[in-house]
Amino acid sequence: MASTTAHGLRRANDPPLLILMSLATGPKHGHALAKDIEDFAGVTLGPGALYGAITRLEERGLIEPLGAQDRRRPYRITTSGTAALAAAVADLRRIADVGSARLGFAGGQLA
Amino acid sequence: MTARRRGTAALLRWYPPGWRERYGDELAALMEDTTGGEVPSVRLRASVAWAGLRERGHEAGVLGQAAAPTSRMRGGSLLVLCAWVAFVVAGSSFAKLAEHFEGSVPAHARALPVDAFTVVQWLATVAGLAVVAGAVVALPSSVRFLRAGGWPRIRRHVLRAGAATLLVLAAGIPLVATAHRLTPPQRNGGSLGYSLAFLGVCALVVAMAALWTVAAVVTVRRLGFGPRALLAEGTLAGTVALSMLAITAATAVWWASIATSAPWFLWGTPVGSAGSAFEPQLVATMVLMVLAAVAAGYGAGRIARSMRDLRTA
Repeated sequence: MASTTAHGLRRANDPPLLILMSLATGPKHGHALAKDIEDFAGVTLGPGALYGAITRLEERGLIEPLGAQDRRRPYRITTSGTAALAAAVADLRRIADVGSARLGFAGGQLA
Repeated sequence: MTARRRGTAALLRWYPPGWRERYGDELAALMEDTTGGEVPSVRLRASVAWAGLRERGHEAGVLGQAAAPTSRMRGGSLLVLCAWVAFVVAGSSFAKLAEHFEGSVPAHARALPVDAFTVVQWLATVAGLAVVAGAVVALPSSVRFLRAGGWPRIRRHVLRAGAATLLVLAAGIPLVATAHRLTPPQRNGGSLGYSLAFLGVCALVVAMAALWTVAAVVTVRRLGFGPRALLAEGTLAGTVALSMLAITAATAVWWASIATSAPWFLWGTPVGSAGSAFEPQLVATMVLMVLAAVAAGYGAGRIARSMRDLRTA
């Protein structure tokens, strides 16, 4: 999934959302999160942006820290975080479905 | 400590202390992982510094919605205060530029700039009184804070601002004495030495104002306000912000009317000569005014939203 299409019409690069998506597959520390997000979303999050989003997510109780390993601390998604991610993904899917329907797509293919 | 680690530690200084305590090591480790042990690029440094400033904004309650409405209201009020200080600097520059303008404007075109200037003066008085009232409202909380042993927490900032004030007095008094011995043309650019000294004292005054503002912000962030005092501070900050927006508009009207009817005044050239409206000092003054007014408007907007959130909570 790219952050934008060639026409710049799609935006799914909200750092908190991407972090929640990444943590949905298991706990990760900062560098592992950044690598995973780059792999699945094509979005490069710099250290400042990544930790800004981690701070906000932790404040809202959507992720929580685990014990530090060396100076690297892994985070995991909480129950509230999973619920928030599910709601956000449902929203994205609904919007994508509307877009697909209006373009005449069926199952991701042009009808 | 290696030079690279010292560089990372210096970058972390952009973040608030509490944040550094909690996340500093992790962010430093991530930066090392990201750069593979190499020196961080300028772009990476800039993005981390920017993120640190944003974090300070979040902590101060001037960014984001995560903070409590009371924190956001306090942050908005302090933003208005900081913007007001910048605005006063711009206003002082404008006052100097506009000195004795009435005599240079033809009688038939004098009413509009004179009215605009009067509006500026009245609104500046209103805003100034609102700032003083804000300080009075904060006085009981400040006394409680100091009685509870708060002085060591603000001492460094207050002493620094006090030292800057002494420096301004030490430099300013001889300058005023010198000015009395000079002729008007010498005071207005004819004497290079006086002009340089004047600019130096102006820079000191600006630094002093900035240091007192920092001291005020550091102090107010540590005060405990009751709901009524906080509401009063928010309302006064809103008054200051609105006054700043109106002053900016009135200054623009003054500028446009002078540029149309007496452009020679802006350049200090003989009456009747032509000239551009864009005199550099006035342009710089106006830019600073607009930036400060926009910042104050943003702060007032946050105050208004926080008040609404408090009412609905």
